[in-house]
Amino acid sequence: MASRVAISRASRIKTKLETALQAAVLEVEDVSHQHAGHAAVRHMEGGAQETHFNVRIVSAKFQDQNLVKRHRMVYDLLSDELQSGLHALSITAKTPKEAGIDNSN
Amino acid sequence: MGASNLSSPAHFPYSLRTLSILSNSRHALSLSFNSLPNPTAIFLSASIKHRSLAKHRRRGLAVSALQKLSETHSVAVSSDSDGNFPSNSGVYAIYDSGGDLQFVGITRNLAASVLAHRKSLPELCCAVKVAVVEDPDKTALTEAWKAWLQEHIAATGKVPPGNEPGNSTWVKRAPRKKSDLRLTPGRHVQLTVPLEDLVDRLVKENKVVAFIKGSRSAPLCGFSQRVVAILENQGVDYETVDVLDEEYNFGLRETLKNYSNWPTFPQIFVNGELVGGCDILTSMYEKGELAGMLK
Repeated sequence: MASRVAISRASRIKTKLETALQAAVLEVEDVSHQHAGHAAVRHMEGGAQETHFNVRIVSAKFQDQNLVKRHRMVYDLLSDELQSGLHALSITAKTPKEAGIDNSN
Repeated sequence: MGASNLSSPAHFPYSLRTLSILSNSRHALSLSFNSLPNPTAIFLSASIKHRSLAKHRRRGLAVSALQKLSETHSVAVSSDSDGNFPSNSGVYAIYDSGGDLQFVGITRNLAASVLAHRKSLPELCCAVKVAVVEDPDKTALTEAWKAWLQEHIAATGKVPPGNEPGNSTWVKRAPRKKSDLRLTPGRHVQLTVPLEDLVDRLVKENKVVAFIKGSRSAPLCGFSQRVVAILENQGVDYETVDVLDEEYNFGLRETLKNYSNWPTFPQIFVNGELVGGCDILTSMYEKGELAGMLK
């Protein structure tokens, strides 16, 4: 898709996670600038751009999943991104109940 | 009361990076870093050339961006005060019962370092001043440490005893000499077993293994650094493997990603099982779940 390059990685991440996890809360923050001097990205073309993100997700789909599984769910959804320059994600993955926004009961 | 005396980011309008002028002061302090098993602390020892003292005074203006040592409130240290210190990175100054400054240190966790000092040296650790360093990379922390030391030296002409070169009062244990594990004898040596099998054996034969970027004594990424700091803080025996070592761990990054089904580093294994990366380790550490798992 020609338009794909124009869409930021942050918004692609957001779309992918939103669709698959039906997240109640989804925050994606590009923190690549904090890692500009990072050994692994220092020599990347154009510097550290769209390489490091903080992601905060609240989703009912995390129910009964341990942290490793929750993180894997996120990583699996973003495998394309991880293979195309996404270097690190800082993930906070909670259920609505854990996040204190459970309205179901 | 105690907690409200501590400097918090709100009292800290300027980033310590603005102090970079101090790093240009060749006359200032010669530093030596020791990475330690002790709670995430980076200890430093200082030597000073007295003839440069006047220069420090003139440069004193730059220090005003950082909360001054003399303007930081001192908090009495006791078992009751443990909860009063932030677990942020920062600089701290320890005073004895006579009110004499004994040691200035920097740390990735103020609360943990103060606690460790109180426990190991209760007779010398009576009060402490702490200041959180925002945006705490190693440079910013070192600058904060220098600023406080220089202020003290300018005022008294003395280096705090604990910061004298060779003084190991506050550095009880010798710097850990443990080295990173290597998976192969070298990249040009033909392996007789697949690398994946070596990984499998390694994580199963060692209770705690952290695959990190860089060495345990000098991690090259902030997340790896935090992992090492947390494991050090737990006081457990653990092994590290440098995934960036292209000579002895050639091909490890891709092999490990497949082995663990985890796409990023660092990765921590306990009893052969992937615990996760830095986020999960941090979260377990903060919830107090880590100690139980590492037992």
